Amino acid sequence: MTAAGSVTAAGAGPAAGPRSGAAGAAQARRVSWSLSAHARRLLTLALTGLVIAVLTGRPEFAGVAAPAVVLLACWPVRRPGSVTVAVRASARQLVEGEQAAIIAEISGHGDLAVQASIRTAPACSAGPPADRAAASRAAPAPGASVSLRVPFQAHHWGIRRIGRLEIVLRDRFRLSEGRVSVELPRIECHPLPAPLRGRIVLSRLPSRLGEHPSRTLGEGIEFAGVRQFVPGDRQRRINWPATTRSGTVQLNTFTAERTQNVVILADATANVGDPGATSLDLAFRAAAGTINCYLAAGDRVGLVVYTDRLSWIGPGLGRRHFHRLMDLLLASQRSEGQSASLAGLTRLPRAALPPGALIVVFSPLLQPRLVEALRDLRERGFSVLVVDVLTAAPPRSRDRVAALAQRIWRLEQQAIRFSLTELGIPVVHWDGRQSLDEPLAPYTRRVMLTGRT
Amino acid sequence: MSGALARARATAGAALLAAVTIAWAALPAAGARPGLRVALVVAVASAVASLAHLAIGEAEIGGDPFDPLVVRVAAEAVRLVRVPPWSEVMIIATLTLEALHRSRPWHTGVLGVALLAYLLTAHLAQTSPRPGTLRPQLPVLAAGLGLLILAVGAAALPRPPAGSAAELLRVLAVIAAVLAGGLALPTTRRPDHRP
Repeated sequence: MTAAGSVTAAGAGPAAGPRSGAAGAAQARRVSWSLSAHARRLLTLALTGLVIAVLTGRPEFAGVAAPAVVLLACWPVRRPGSVTVAVRASARQLVEGEQAAIIAEISGHGDLAVQASIRTAPACSAGPPADRAAASRAAPAPGASVSLRVPFQAHHWGIRRIGRLEIVLRDRFRLSEGRVSVELPRIECHPLPAPLRGRIVLSRLPSRLGEHPSRTLGEGIEFAGVRQFVPGDRQRRINWPATTRSGTVQLNTFTAERTQNVVILADATANVGDPGATSLDLAFRAAAGTINCYLAAGDRVGLVVYTDRLSWIGPGLGRRHFHRLMDLLLASQRSEGQSASLAGLTRLPRAALPPGALIVVFSPLLQPRLVEALRDLRERGFSVLVVDVLTAAPPRSRDRVAALAQRIWRLEQQAIRFSLTELGIPVVHWDGRQSLDEPLAPYTRRVMLTGRT
Repeated sequence: MSGALARARATAGAALLAAVTIAWAALPAAGARPGLRVALVVAVASAVASLAHLAIGEAEIGGDPFDPLVVRVAAEAVRLVRVPPWSEVMIIATLTLEALHRSRPWHTGVLGVALLAYLLTAHLAQTSPRPGTLRPQLPVLAAGLGLLILAVGAAALPRPPAGSAAELLRVLAVIAAVLAGGLALPTTRRPDHRP
């Protein structure tokens, strides 16, 4: 069972993200016809040649106009008023930088050549247009359809508009063009998970079967020691070399294997830095990587998104839970720009934080309320680790006052990090370029002690 | 990649044909009527702009309100290249250049063929770099070229001394022949199979 919730300044609200369909039903679309650029040029050549021929009395100019006139005279005028278009995306959920394709099924176009291309929205790019040449002289079967595949790529996480699909129909002589424009479905682009292999394991784990060897003895496979045999023990665990040496029956003991609860706290209150590598981008990519890593180890992972409202999903397991957590990350994007204040919300709700959970925070530490909330978490006995994702600083200035202000800002930032460290909250820095393993290495190589220090 | 290469090849071919066409129409400069220089400048400028349009294609430049000045200037320049019908201006200017010279029927006929080749190459560069897309037009174009040769041949015949009315009649007869040839050609229209 997992719990989900959301807190706003005004009260509680839903945290579920929007789910837009990636597949579209076939619809009849009106075709808007116009002369092609080729036809306009031929028409210009024909008219200019004929006018000059009449004005100057030189028949050779009429000859210059002849090929264009003949081509325009033989123009096969077959213009369907509408075509049926069904559009779907090959994938509904993508990861940043992953390529997918729009598949367009077009019917009712007759023997016209069809070309499809994507006019992309920001943060997306499209591959080359896909086309199908005009049909041969044989008449096409009525209702025959053509399937075109146009690749595209989403470059930034979020619930994104891909753009519009532009379909161009051309006759055999390419003299007229019919255009159809179709709004493409939205896609969910997940943040690219930061690479992370090592896991932080707490010294005290809840009594739930899992994969982490705990300090207590149990039925795991990690060797813990040898003790004397007592009636009722399983004979297959007798340690024969130790038994031979000591003269009494000795038994192997093993550690219990437990799971742990991990809560990821992603701070979305600030978004500073270079586009594509802002503090919010890094926080979400690191959160996605950490969620991936712990879920793969069979741990229960929860997520708290701290923005102008607080949304969370309690710890859970499995692939489906991963998608729920990703949905929550993407849903937080919608609240960007709202001015609702969370003044006074410095205590995270108990429902989001199971007892004894490891809390990994990804934050630029620019929000004083969050720093207070971290302090409160530590006082409540949680094991907290902060990954600082701030990679930007105020621009340097020659102005004395501005330089002084920048220095004060830096001192404040150092003071925040120092005070957290003094409270027993380790703070490490991640710049988004290296693997997350590097800053977390001191804590993944040994067991992290729980409880207050 | 091969698509981009083919497109670049078609654009380069269009550039070469535009240069040849304008030079063919402009030369020789001696003995031409006044206005040759103006027509030449217009033809060259419009050819450069239309080739720039072909090279840029439909690529989107800028569009963000926070784009730097250089990008905004580039976007404005691209808009200036895209919006006016430069190719059409070039065709008119080139034919005007030819008209400013004295009558030379075979020279004008070659110019007509070069202009047609330029139009087809520009069309390939703009839409699809596969020359196979022009195959359906070839029979009709061949018929048109036959009419061109007929018209040029008629113009090259020694003309009897006559007034302007007789010349106008001759021109109108050629135009009528061209139009009749166009209408007499079998069309490629097929019966409609749609319900």
